[in-house]
Amino acid sequence: MRVFFEQLVNGVTVGSFYALVALGYSMVYGVMKLINFAHGDLFTLGSYLGYTFLVWRAAWITERAGLWWGVLGAILFAFLANAGAGILVERVAYRPVYRAGRLPLVVSALGMSIFLQNAIMAIWGPRFQVYPGDLVPTASLRFLGLSLPLLKVVILFLSLGVMLVMYWIVEKTEFGAAVRATALDREMATLLGIDIQRVILFVFTLGPALGGMAGVMNGMYYRSIQFSMGWNYGLKAFTATILGGIGNIPGAMVGGVLLGVIETLLAGYIPGGGAWKDGFTFLILILVLIFRPTGILGEKVAEKV
Amino acid sequence: MGAELSCTRRGRFQRFVPVLLGGFVAVFPFLPFVNDYWVDVGFFVGLYGLLGLSLNVVLGEVGLFDLGHAAFYAIGAYTTAIMNTTLNIPVLLLLPVSALVASGFAYLVMSPVIHLRGDYLCIVTIGIGEIVRIIIVNNPWGITNGPNGITGVGFPALGPFVIQTPTQFYYFVWVVVALVAFVLLRLQRSRIGRAWNAIREDEIAAEATGIDVRAYKLLAFTLGAAFAGLAGNIYAAKMAVVSPQSFLFMESALLFCIVLLGGLGSLPGVLLGAALVVVFPEVFRRFASFRLLFFGLALMVTMIFRPGGLLPRKRETLGLDGFGAQGFSAKRASPVRGGQVSLKDRSPVQPLHGSGNRPLLEVQGVTLRFGGLVAVNRYDLAVYPGRVTSLIGPNGAGKTTLFNIITGIYRPDEGKVLFRGEDITGLKPHLVVARGIARTFQNIRLFPSLTCLENVLTGLHCRGSSGFISTVLRTPFQLREEREFMEAAAYWLCRVGLWEYRNELARNLPYGRQKYLEIARALATGPELLVLDEPSSGLNERETEELMEFLQGLLREGITILLIEHDMNVVMGISDWVSVMDMGNKIAEGSPWEVYNHPRVIEAYLGKEEEWVGSTS
Repeated sequence: MRVFFEQLVNGVTVGSFYALVALGYSMVYGVMKLINFAHGDLFTLGSYLGYTFLVWRAAWITERAGLWWGVLGAILFAFLANAGAGILVERVAYRPVYRAGRLPLVVSALGMSIFLQNAIMAIWGPRFQVYPGDLVPTASLRFLGLSLPLLKVVILFLSLGVMLVMYWIVEKTEFGAAVRATALDREMATLLGIDIQRVILFVFTLGPALGGMAGVMNGMYYRSIQFSMGWNYGLKAFTATILGGIGNIPGAMVGGVLLGVIETLLAGYIPGGGAWKDGFTFLILILVLIFRPTGILGEKVAEKV
Repeated sequence: MGAELSCTRRGRFQRFVPVLLGGFVAVFPFLPFVNDYWVDVGFFVGLYGLLGLSLNVVLGEVGLFDLGHAAFYAIGAYTTAIMNTTLNIPVLLLLPVSALVASGFAYLVMSPVIHLRGDYLCIVTIGIGEIVRIIIVNNPWGITNGPNGITGVGFPALGPFVIQTPTQFYYFVWVVVALVAFVLLRLQRSRIGRAWNAIREDEIAAEATGIDVRAYKLLAFTLGAAFAGLAGNIYAAKMAVVSPQSFLFMESALLFCIVLLGGLGSLPGVLLGAALVVVFPEVFRRFASFRLLFFGLALMVTMIFRPGGLLPRKRETLGLDGFGAQGFSAKRASPVRGGQVSLKDRSPVQPLHGSGNRPLLEVQGVTLRFGGLVAVNRYDLAVYPGRVTSLIGPNGAGKTTLFNIITGIYRPDEGKVLFRGEDITGLKPHLVVARGIARTFQNIRLFPSLTCLENVLTGLHCRGSSGFISTVLRTPFQLREEREFMEAAAYWLCRVGLWEYRNELARNLPYGRQKYLEIARALATGPELLVLDEPSSGLNERETEELMEFLQGLLREGITILLIEHDMNVVMGISDWVSVMDMGNKIAEGSPWEVYNHPRVIEAYLGKEEEWVGSTS
């Protein structure tokens, strides 16, 4: 039971990374109908930016304000820098291709992904980088006889908090309504006076920012990062997005957390499951799509003929 | 050669490109600067060209996002490696075997998911690609040798002749590329190619025009996988080693880029794309770690400046020459204009005359609910042969929904649809068309980037039967059928007055002509019953009158018409029977004047009659 509970916490933690990355996919897809293949690499970029921040500045902050401020600083730094990167990516790779249709957009996204991945490799090198151990908190929390690393708990609550804020923005505010309207029917939204460029800017700022945040947390959680990890993470997060129902904010969260839990439990409880877990993930995805083509929380839309 | 038909206006550039390319490929290994290293580069251009062509079948022709194509490539490579190293079967013999295994695999895994649309299918193919790779890495039953892969694959040998030097491999792969390109070229200009393109343009319209969308999508995947299997075999033979590292997601993404870089559906374009993707990193080899950086940049720049790819496919302008139908002349194609035959005598499709008093189409107590909303409620409707039956009612009454039920797009919750006394309830749309019910859509649904002639030819699809093999071999049967198609299509284009626009892309036509084109496409299916959804909407008075005359002409030829119409002039003018629908229920039916004065009809329109009578919206 204790093992199960620990696995569950691990699963939810990993799942919350997926969920944060999935949010970016989902928002961009909702508004642009584009699978943003560069999103996984923006996640990697965030991870490296956080790493650089820790190496460069955290000791200074830690000395003066304590370990946790360094961690928060790194997350905030990656969040902001990645938001800038997201805007840049949209300007350079996507905006000039919007009119050309969906397929060129996909290729441009793939091109951006390859570019980012190799740019990261060129800047930080092809080898693994390790988040400095002395700058990442290792304290544990004792709870009901369980020992939970405090970092995990903080990561978990931070991601859940961010997701709640996101949910609030998208579902409760007027601007969120504009975003949802754009996702449903772009042309109509324009006619109603919604500034589409602002909506696009919003999703391309916040999506990568959340991804970058997840990147730093992922780095602290696993400690080592590599330039090419974005592909795999992106693929997983995108799976989570589809699992929950693409273009649907709560769906991305549910899908992400669910995927994390399923994966961790598969790896933990099936002998040799670790090697097969990605395979199972995709198998589950395919089965979900066969029986519920619009995802778990996706609405059933009858195509108008 | 009919002067009008042979207007294949190909630019000089386009005509010479294939010849020049072919010549270059043929002599490449003997050019002065080319050493073994560059011959190998040429080999990989051929290999990726082959893979590009194989993905092009799925992505270019049918428009299905396949981002897991490396799976089929991997299956081909591993089939060869495993069977060669364990069973000692010669590698060359395994070439067709690999193709078969890969296509069989594609058929099995794609069957349950082929109905998924767009991005959902895309993510499933990504998933399949990853699953295949993970299975290979995990080495089930010890047959794939895990991450290390299989070594010691032999050379392909034809009797005493062994393919082993770079030059031999180079020619080997290019011969296969040429064969595959030949097959694809023949398919492109055939019933099959048109069906694929129609699906890419508009899946629902394709289905409603008589194309078995599911079957043709599966055919594309099966064929694409077979070609990828060939590539896998050649790769395994060349490298003598196969390992899972060669079949990463990146590989599939690269193939995707090859197809789009060159130009969707364009065979020379795909080969050019392959050349770029293989040669580019080689040229930048001395920048080592930056070469992929540049590659990513190049992809973006290409898409920004040439979003259609570098060599986009041009729709060939009426490719009749290609069918060897040289004797085919404009006069024979357009009996009306040639003055040889009168309209009445010659309709290429002779609709059967139904027996007098039995209704041609019967809708019996049909109900369809969307969630809690009852869109159509126990509706009865009878359409008698040789008459015009109209379905009218306020917006949102459920008229189009009823049409969709009749034509098989929706399946009713209750009730039956009988056509010529046979139950056709729940038949798929393409089968309904084959039975003799053709339709148009409320918002025109043409195949926008196909030419007018191709649009009409698509309508004839369901009247043909030439399949894959007869198309590739161009059997006399296939040629005859194709020629008959051309004549019938030309006939219908003339009938609706669009003959001169035959080589124009459908999307370039003005609205009114698009309507006629859609009707021509529907008529080409050879229907007994023509179902028109608001044919006069968006037309002005004069155009509407022309349309009514046209419809009456069809009527005289024995085609029965069922229409949804808002324009009361049309309804009063040509209908024999009117059925009025409101909120899914039938509120009145009878002769036009009976209905017009029916109190419940007036009530349903709530005194708005003045507004809607005669309105053309």
